[in-house]
Order: sequence, then structure tokens, then C-alpha cells
Amino acid sequence: MIPILGLAAGVLLGLLFDPTVPLWLQPYLPIAVVAALDAVFGGFRARLDGIFDAKVFVISFVSNVVVAALIVFLGDQLGVGAQLSTAVVVVLGIRIFGNAAAIRRHVFRA
Amino acid sequence: MTAPPRTGARSLGASLLDAVLAETLDPAYAQAAAARAAGSPRPSRWRAGLLVAVTMVAAGLLFSVTYDQAAAGAQGREEVREALISDIERESAASDDLAAELEDLTQEVSSTRDELLTATTVGQRALDELARAERGAGAVRVTGPGLLVTLANADPDADDDPVGGTTTEDPRGRVRDGDLQLVVNALWAAGAEAVSINGQRLGPTTAIRFAGEAVLVDFKPVTNPYEVSAIGDPQTLTSEFLGSPEVSALAVISETYGLRFDFAQEDELTLPPASTPELRVAVPEGADETPPGPDPTPGG
Repeated sequence: MIPILGLAAGVLLGLLFDPTVPLWLQPYLPIAVVAALDAVFGGFRARLDGIFDAKVFVISFVSNVVVAALIVFLGDQLGVGAQLSTAVVVVLGIRIFGNAAAIRRHVFRA
Repeated sequence: MTAPPRTGARSLGASLLDAVLAETLDPAYAQAAAARAAGSPRPSRWRAGLLVAVTMVAAGLLFSVTYDQAAAGAQGREEVREALISDIERESAASDDLAAELEDLTQEVSSTRDELLTATTVGQRALDELARAERGAGAVRVTGPGLLVTLANADPDADDDPVGGTTTEDPRGRVRDGDLQLVVNALWAAGAEAVSINGQRLGPTTAIRFAGEAVLVDFKPVTNPYEVSAIGDPQTLTSEFLGSPEVSALAVISETYGLRFDFAQEDELTLPPASTPELRVAVPEGADETPPGPDPTPGG
């Protein structure tokens, strides 16, 4: 319950206060969102599996977001930003799908 | 080709794919669970809950901020685009109004001129000469049978990826100024008496040019599809036009790159007058007949 409340509070805060993001950070936001989604789905699945661990969740969230943004930043510097973004989205997308499928099996028993 | 054996070393790519597909859950969770089972101390429930809550707030913030950014960006672009479009429309309307006013005034001037000149024989002769010059300069509206040639850009490829991003248009599939020049020149050569492109009449000094991605006729943009109307005897026009080697070459090129290149004989085409030529040489009445400077060119 607490995580869902936290998520809702974060969304509301963001929509209400509409914080301005520095221009240099803006290109990395979408990829950071995908990375965050991966961490959140992973955490949810671990919870359903009964092996959830707060420390692992927090560290995986932060490192996912930072590493994803870093890879894209590096790609931008090397001139392959678009390709690396695609790579990150593909890998994280597969993981999100896999975790979502596992969550579905837990929830619907199917 | 046989399937790779299950046992033994697998290729790097295959094992990488296996890892990505099989390990969707961070192995750290399993490790932490194993460590807990082995009896390592676990943080207090309260601290764990707070950590998770803070992280989820951060996640929520990230989601909403990113959504805001994307929405604001799209909205901003849309607003700017609409403002520019309305600017263009307003200015075009103003320019159309002015052109209409100019046409009215020109009409007035020429009718007054005709009235005055028809009174005398000298005037009558001058008027006949003027009429001939005006026809040559494309300064009068003409109607008659002729040929309608249509050139259009190639349709975007059917196998273009419509998902994510804009479709890239092959620049070779675009009609260029050179293609239109070629068609127009072939039409003149085939005996066309008057030619217009999308309702822009071509005078003797009208230029067909390329600016950015737009074709300009007489410095006014015309857009795809390009309809070139030519007045003349449809039979002769068609045979002469199709007989010219440039047109056959253009037909082959159109075929190759998917450009549309059609022509049709029309019984009645109406071509508007070309833009009013500017007055370059004028001699006051009663002055020396020979004008100073270079010879006056009809149509200016």
C-alpha cells in the first residue's frame, strides 16, 4: 500500500508543482522513465514472489535510472545516441514484459 | 543448416539473449532472500517502508515530469505551427487583396486608355500594336483548347515504417524546378501559345525556380501536384510534345522514381493573365519619339 501511495504522491507533486528540468537533462528523461518502470515492475514481482528487499529495490532503481541515462549520454557523445537508446529500450522492454507476465501469473493464476 | 547443439559453449549472442529473456528479475532479490534465510540481519520494517516510499515518490515525480515535458513540447510546437500558419494565411489574403485591387486598377487604366485611343486612327494603330504586344507578354486572359500536363511527387513508399518518427521522403521522388522547366520548354517548342503552372501564367520573363523544397513560379510558390496548362491545337501539341526527346527522358525518369506524369487533352482551358509587367520606359507626350536607354522589352 505504501509504495502505491508514494507513487500517487509523486505523480501529484510533479503535476501540481510542475518543476522545471534543466535543459541538458531533458533528453535523458524518457529513458530514465523506462529504467524506472523496469525497477518498479521488478520490485512488484519480487514482492509477489515473496523475496522483496527494500535495499535491493532502492539500489536497483537508482542504478537503473543513472546507468540508462549514462549510456544514452555516452552514446550522444559518441554519435550513436539513437542506437544506444534503442538498445536500452529493447533490453528494458523485454525485462518489463517478462516481469509483467510473471505478475500476471501471480495475480490471475494464469 | 542444423540447429546448434544444446550442450557445449553457445555463441555470445545466444547466451546474451538467453540471459536477457530468462533473467527478467534482478538476481539481487534472490541473493538478498538467500542471505536473509541464512540469518543475516534485516533492516527494520519502518526504515524499509520509508525507503520504498521515497523511491516510489521519486518514480512518480519522474513519470509526471517526463509526461509534462513531452506534452508541453508537443503543445508548444503545435502552437508555434498554428501561429505561423495563421500568419501565412493572413499575409496571403492581404497579398491577394492587393493583387485584386491592382487588377481592377489596371483594368480601369486600360479601359480609359482604349477609350481615348480609339478616337483617332493613330491611336487605333497604336492600340492594335499594343494588343499584339500584350498577347505576346501574356498580359491578357486567354481561353481555348489545349493540353493539361500533370506532374506530381512520388507517393511515399508503402513499406515505409509508419511507427515512430516521420516517414522519410525520397528526394528523388520530388518534382524539381528542372522537370517543370523541361515540360514548359517542350510545350513552347510544341507550339503552345500560352502556358500556366497551377494557375500562374508564364510570361516571357517568368522564372521557374527552386527555393528550399518549394517550386517558385514568378517568385510565387506552387505546390504538388503541378498542373501545366498549355493552349494550342491539342493534336499538334500532343504529338510534338510526346515526340521531343526530353519528354521521353522525363517519362522514363518518372517511371523509375514513381513520379506521376500524366497528360490530357482539354477542350477548354482558361489561363489568367501573367503578373502585370512593370513600366520601364515612358516618354512624355510630344517629346522625342526615340526613348532613352536600352530598347523597351515587351512584358518587362
